[in-house]
Amino acid sequence: MAIYNGLEAAHEHLLDVAKACIIAAGKAPTLTHRVELMAEIITGEDMDPIIDVLATLGENSAFQLHDAVALQSLRKQNKLPPIVLFGADLLKPALWDCGACGFKTCGEYLKYTQTNKGVGIGCYGPTCVWKAVDFGTVCDYACACAAQHHAEARIMFSIGACALLLGHLEGATMVLGLPIGPLGKNLWFDREAWKETLSFDQKMMTQLAGGPTNQMAFSGGGNPIIKSKPNWWEDPTFLKVEQDETFIEKDVNNKAKAYEKIMRYTGALGEDEE
Amino acid sequence: MARIHIDEFPPYSPSDQAKKENVLVVAKLMVNAALTAPLTGGVPGHEAEIVYGQKEIEQVAREMERLAHKEVPKRLKKPFLYEAVMARESDAIVFLGNKRAHETPMDVGCGLCGGEPDCSFVYNRVNHFNGLIDATDRSRETAIKGPVCVIRAHDLGYVIGSAMWIAGNHFVDAKSCYSVGLAGRNLDICMNSEIVVGILIAAASKNPYADIPPNYHLTNMAKQIDAVRKITTITRQIPNHPYHTFDPEKKTEAGKKKEE
Repeated sequence: MAIYNGLEAAHEHLLDVAKACIIAAGKAPTLTHRVELMAEIITGEDMDPIIDVLATLGENSAFQLHDAVALQSLRKQNKLPPIVLFGADLLKPALWDCGACGFKTCGEYLKYTQTNKGVGIGCYGPTCVWKAVDFGTVCDYACACAAQHHAEARIMFSIGACALLLGHLEGATMVLGLPIGPLGKNLWFDREAWKETLSFDQKMMTQLAGGPTNQMAFSGGGNPIIKSKPNWWEDPTFLKVEQDETFIEKDVNNKAKAYEKIMRYTGALGEDEE
Repeated sequence: MARIHIDEFPPYSPSDQAKKENVLVVAKLMVNAALTAPLTGGVPGHEAEIVYGQKEIEQVAREMERLAHKEVPKRLKKPFLYEAVMARESDAIVFLGNKRAHETPMDVGCGLCGGEPDCSFVYNRVNHFNGLIDATDRSRETAIKGPVCVIRAHDLGYVIGSAMWIAGNHFVDAKSCYSVGLAGRNLDICMNSEIVVGILIAAASKNPYADIPPNYHLTNMAKQIDAVRKITTITRQIPNHPYHTFDPEKKTEAGKKKEE
């Protein structure tokens, strides 16, 4: 007989839920019947390189930072849930000649891919559109399985992109990460660690940048004031479209830093190489 | 109080119609699930339409058959014809369309469409003004007008998956089909979408979407039932007899014994 710490036991059970999610993903109904699913479960310190690269990219992008901060905090508290990586080679076409990829036939598409396969911010391409649709269904089944176990889960591009670049699931052109957990309620929405990451002003600036019309004064004059402060009519502020050299430079340097880390982790760059 | 008799045969009889009404409830729940599926950034971008009724489903099936013979590549001809049969055996069809992939890309440089860290692959091949895609020219040279934003299209997979999951949880058989979606889209079902998928659904003792014999468009049950109607009508005209006054069985040994 034994008495278990309930929360610790439940945390351990998340690994079993993760396995169940992979079973569900494998049973997903697809359109092409040609998706060869790859999956991997990552736990604890094996997530560190992914989190590190994600945090590096996050230095210049809120999207990656949002996830990186959450994962870092969970890792620090020893509450990092098991993370399922799903991947597939979405380059091989369905052979339907449908045209959705931009080529008239799958043959023309294949010819193009032979010399033009490349990588974007987190996926390889080109991609057969129907394979991408099917891969979505596969991942959806995994999410639905987690939901039926009442486990927190959130399918993440950010984790998948870093994992792909770090060489997980070799041969996959797209990888997505699905944390199964942590224990708790709505933790991927209400992120404790995010509370202090951005200031109130930064948060309001993000809102303004995402929807400037919401804070726009009378636009009939042609150059409307953007209401960015209480007495917005005094020393008014305006919207301007311009090139941002400083941001671009920061972005380039930041990506270079992230790629250097990726090369070190994957062994492409030795310790002594600069 | 009402008595609702339910039986799947004959098709479209009142008893079958009562069953179809149940399936329609599931179709509606599937749409709910589809619209709440997890999406890239949680951005809304899908539409749904339910096709229900014998004539309405027949129209879709006929367009699938037209596509099979006239438009799709040879290797899809039989699958399209077989799935048209499945459509006729379905109680309802749920159509799910993605409104964004062809018109409002994610603009994130993911790399899926062209393997480049920007969205140039798509924008270099579509008609647009400063990144605003003009989708008003709806003429097509291929079944689907491409290229489309692949990560947007990827979202459609989740939408289909959640709908299928609900169907399965209600023990209603379901099959998502390219053929049904393409036919539906050509008939202006989910007309704001370039990429549409049709989910056939049916409550039947035998899953109508599995165990498909060769040349199914010619050998399916509807054809066999029709063959029975055709042949039986002829056959009965041979062993006919004036049954009011004469029973041919009486002349046999067994018949005589029965009489005793």
